[in-house]
Amino acid sequence: MKITVQQLEKSLGGRLILQNVTLDIPENKTLGILGPNGSGKSTLLRCICRVLQPEGGAILLDGQPLQRYSVRQSARQMAVVAQHNTYNFDFTVRDFVLMGRSPHKRAFERDNARDYEIAAQSLTQVGLAGYGDRSFASLSGGEQQRVILARALAQQTPCLLLDEPTNHLDIRYQLQLMELVHGLGRTVIAAVHDLNIAAMYCDTLAVMQAGRIVATGTPKEILTPELIQQVYGVHARVLQDENGVPYILFRPGCGTITK
Amino acid sequence: MRGQTTFARWWQSPAGTTAAVILLAIALVLSLILAVSFGTTRLPVGQVYTIIRQELFHLLTGTPLPADSAAGTAVHDVVWLIRLPRLVLAAAVGTCLSLCGVAMQAIVKNPLADPYILGVSSGANLGVTLAVLLGVGTALGGNYVGLMAFAGALGISFAVVALANVGGRASSVKLLLAGSALSAVCGAGTQFLLYLRNADRAAGEILRWTMGSLAAANWPNNGLMLGVAVLGTVFFLTQCRTINLMLLGDETAVTLGTDLHRYRIAYLIVSSLMVGFAVYSAGAIGFVGLVVPHVVRLLFGTDHRRLVPLCALSGAVFLVWADVLCRTILPGNEIPIGILTSLLGAPVFLYLMVRRKYGFGGGDA
Repeated sequence: MKITVQQLEKSLGGRLILQNVTLDIPENKTLGILGPNGSGKSTLLRCICRVLQPEGGAILLDGQPLQRYSVRQSARQMAVVAQHNTYNFDFTVRDFVLMGRSPHKRAFERDNARDYEIAAQSLTQVGLAGYGDRSFASLSGGEQQRVILARALAQQTPCLLLDEPTNHLDIRYQLQLMELVHGLGRTVIAAVHDLNIAAMYCDTLAVMQAGRIVATGTPKEILTPELIQQVYGVHARVLQDENGVPYILFRPGCGTITK
Repeated sequence: MRGQTTFARWWQSPAGTTAAVILLAIALVLSLILAVSFGTTRLPVGQVYTIIRQELFHLLTGTPLPADSAAGTAVHDVVWLIRLPRLVLAAAVGTCLSLCGVAMQAIVKNPLADPYILGVSSGANLGVTLAVLLGVGTALGGNYVGLMAFAGALGISFAVVALANVGGRASSVKLLLAGSALSAVCGAGTQFLLYLRNADRAAGEILRWTMGSLAAANWPNNGLMLGVAVLGTVFFLTQCRTINLMLLGDETAVTLGTDLHRYRIAYLIVSSLMVGFAVYSAGAIGFVGLVVPHVVRLLFGTDHRRLVPLCALSGAVFLVWADVLCRTILPGNEIPIGILTSLLGAPVFLYLMVRRKYGFGGGDA
């Protein structure tokens, strides 16, 4: 499935958050969206997954405008792992993951053996096999984040949208999660903060600044000291490992606000 | 300890839920028969059963009552015309209130919601006050006070929905805010009228509506109320998946393929109708709609595919026994049922909350 973003405009609270954003999302690759806080990464993702309605431009799924699809149809194409939420009500982990099957179900259809199997598989994939009976609220933030990923996997969509998915995870699970999503071979769009994670697991990067895309390319092309300086205002050193993967180093003092 | 958790898990499995639904349905039927035998005079259960069976058979098949039937005797009238109608009404109202509690808690995504959260009871009170004090609605016939309560309850719900939709889609928060604002307005209106007219009679009548009563039960209205309860249950049974998604919020629901907006409006309208009819038949009985969903959730989990059928049945059973207690606790005197549901429900609820460390899903609460 091919996703194209064309001249997208969106303002929130009277401020233009996305300006003329045009982006071809490479199929079956991991696209990382970089950019400082408030640059519009989340807003872009939220427009693509239909939580927000853009004011101008278009998002095309296989050449068709997104609005032509029902939300059910688009939920069969794209699953979302958003920034971690808290809920007022508690579900068991299994029930929670089973909700990922919703877009494939009619209103009154029951979950069948296959749905349970998919839910169990998804939990195994995120390393939470056997957690089915636990209550979601009793899990740690990192475990909850992985359950949400399991729910998205249970949706069995060709595309995954991740909005800072590694926020609540320790380094081991950050790496595992990115490894897992990257290894799925599906189209992945991920807003990422950690430049080294982006360098390791993204095939392509798009950099946003003040609501615009300012650069796209491979990690090697994008992650240069100049660009990091320009976008984040931070002095960084960039090394490369033996495979040419950039490795970004920061030192104390390099984040000093410069006038 | 281990055994206990395995047992608890079994209840939460589909088979356990089916078993619980069947057990509760049997409990409801037995409760109805047993409850009829309780009262100022105890009646033998066997006799009660025979009278109900014969009357039901007569009602369903149209065949005449058998020659040895008790029709016309005092016992028959107490069973069939006085006690059973109240209990059937109790069951139907209990079902409606606990289901609407479930629906409201999901609609406003708040575990503290009850069927009256959007101001239904203040709307009904205002309707009653207008009817009793100013004679508004006398043209509606003999039961104009009840009809005005219904109109008030329904009117305020629809006004809340309409207001919450102004300037963008109705969110949980907007609904709650519109509900409490309109509720305050209706409450103030009621008090203002009472203050102006200084009317004791109206105050008594309004108090009766706020405390709830099943005393006015009769078969024709029960037919209506049962229909509402059954249709409401069937409707919400078809909506379990969407109600589950509602608890995750609008944004997550969209990414899972459901736009909640129109469902929320539909549930509000259905709930308002159900609560409106319940208020019309029995006044605003409190606490059932809050406590039953929570107790069931504690025992069976949040999944609405379990919660909806189990709440419908347990709400009915709960109110049937609450009615028995109101009729028997003080000999020769009937306690308003709303007082009893709170007296009975609150301690049970608190006990479960403390024992099971129930945090409404707050986890460590």
